[in-house]
Amino acid sequence: MVATGVAVLVALPYAVGALPARDSAVSAGALLDAVRSSADVPHSGYAESVGGLALPLTEDFTALTDLLGARTRLRVWWRGDTDWRVDTVRATGESGLYRDADGLWSWDFERRSAVRTTEPTVRLPRAADVEPAALARRLLSEARPRDAERLPARRVAGRDAPGIRVRPAAGGSTIDRVDAWIDPGSGLGLRVEVHGTGGTRPVLESAYLSLDLGTPPPASTRFVPADPATVRGEINTDLAAAINVFSPARPPATLAGLPARGEGVGSVGSVGSYGTGFTLLIALPLPGRLSRQLRGQLADSPGATRAAAGVRLAVGPLSLLLTDPVDRRSWLLTGTVTAATLDRAAAELAR
Amino acid sequence: MIGVELRKLVRRPRTWVVIGLLNALPTLVAVLLAVTDLAPRPGTGPAFLSAVLSNGVLFPAAALAIVLPLFLPVSVAIVAGDAVAGEAQAGTLRYLIARPAGRTRLLVAKLVAVLVFVALAVVVVTVTAYFVGTALFGTGSLDGGAVGAVSGVPLSPRQAVWRTVLAMAYVAFSMLGVAAVALFLSTVTDSPLAAAMGALAVLVASSLLLTLEAAGALQPYLPTRYWLAFVDLFRQPILWRDLVRGIGLQAVYVAVLLAATWANFTTKDITS
Repeated sequence: MVATGVAVLVALPYAVGALPARDSAVSAGALLDAVRSSADVPHSGYAESVGGLALPLTEDFTALTDLLGARTRLRVWWRGDTDWRVDTVRATGESGLYRDADGLWSWDFERRSAVRTTEPTVRLPRAADVEPAALARRLLSEARPRDAERLPARRVAGRDAPGIRVRPAAGGSTIDRVDAWIDPGSGLGLRVEVHGTGGTRPVLESAYLSLDLGTPPPASTRFVPADPATVRGEINTDLAAAINVFSPARPPATLAGLPARGEGVGSVGSVGSYGTGFTLLIALPLPGRLSRQLRGQLADSPGATRAAAGVRLAVGPLSLLLTDPVDRRSWLLTGTVTAATLDRAAAELAR
Repeated sequence: MIGVELRKLVRRPRTWVVIGLLNALPTLVAVLLAVTDLAPRPGTGPAFLSAVLSNGVLFPAAALAIVLPLFLPVSVAIVAGDAVAGEAQAGTLRYLIARPAGRTRLLVAKLVAVLVFVALAVVVVTVTAYFVGTALFGTGSLDGGAVGAVSGVPLSPRQAVWRTVLAMAYVAFSMLGVAAVALFLSTVTDSPLAAAMGALAVLVASSLLLTLEAAGALQPYLPTRYWLAFVDLFRQPILWRDLVRGIGLQAVYVAVLLAATWANFTTKDITS
């Protein structure tokens, strides 16, 4: 009898998970529209993101390697596009991002630091970017209805969520598809899976495990530092933001045939962002010290190859190429593009 | 019979040696931190330890995080594993059950003694850590004695005390699963060492499986899965998700194993 009771308890979550979700007749185009207009939908909940990319980067990129190569546990309070809080929960502590209309608070318990910054135009990915709804908006916002197809609904965070699959419209991308399950009423992405070409498992997946669609109280997204001694103000949130402001390098308006993303590329800022949809390429100028450390790390990584312009490496669908230094400056080219596109971009930057 | 077992527990030198050793490690860690002023790097070391240099009020929680993964379960396994098997090894078990009290009452008395040991160990570790922490690191510089919580916003002294008490209760409850495993094994074997080692083998296996991505389907059911969730009590607001799951999981382990313990002990032949 005891064994039967235990078996029932163990089987219960799987049985509930196996119950079929109620699908709806909503079209892929309608789901894409709903996702695009979901930035101000209030919600709160608990989500987990799992990245499968082991990036061989230096300590300057630790936050990025953690985000794309490990499990990230997120607590989310979202009142609007410029009023939210996303905490990254760890067994040993916590870090939090508090966004308000004027900027961003970044709190780190273990470092005992509270940093106030403005929201930069260019920055590295951060925990709030893999929050399922934000990730779905980021990945699906440029998709056209003809690139999308419906997937059967799934139960996600206790809700019936119709699915959508989007494949890259243009060739040359190392992303095979993005599968997402959307709350049809709010347009919030509840679960997102990014698949690379040739892989069987998602290279990045993020899903809500519990979700509340009520508006969180104002106090939930307001940061009041406990200890004023821990507070400091900074202009730039991370390395990419600092390089974008301080480096004298100027990336071209187009690179490897890919158009620039945003109006500033080529005239304002040093970091270039190119491509559309899932076909993305970033060009980041690195000063000598940073590029030397990174070159050594990349060259020692399994799978690294020597290209005409520098060291090249592919980690899942993410390609990296660090060009050889010219005038003590190297370009880090990275994105979801093929090796041939990286080589072409490096050759153009060397001219 | 419960009174007899409790008196035996309190009068036994082993009880206080084990509790003393439990306190020794956090105290040593605190002294080393105070002398060197070197906190663990972010992401390494036990929870809260990086924060205690600026506020000793958090050291009780850090002390629980230090002893929870190994020292506390080892001591609980030793005491619970000895509960019945120790009597059998000493040859006194058959005399104990020959009394009118019966096997069920003896088992309940042993269980209560183990519960009291768990509570005693957690309380002594926490209280000692409070005095050691505040003596070595002070009580912080925040207005009104507020404590900087994990989420960065301040906790009032009252909130900090309540959350520490809840953390103690959660850690103690988490240890009941270990106690239940060891007590069950204690009724299976006449060797207290074998019972304690068996319980520890279960915990080591659980901890190992928690590190394997391939064991993801098993992980929600592993006994050590939610032990460190007591850290969530110090977030703002409290993250109840894993705490609730941890309590539910331990409750199932305790209920199933105590039922098996009772069924085994009340039906087995006692020869020693």
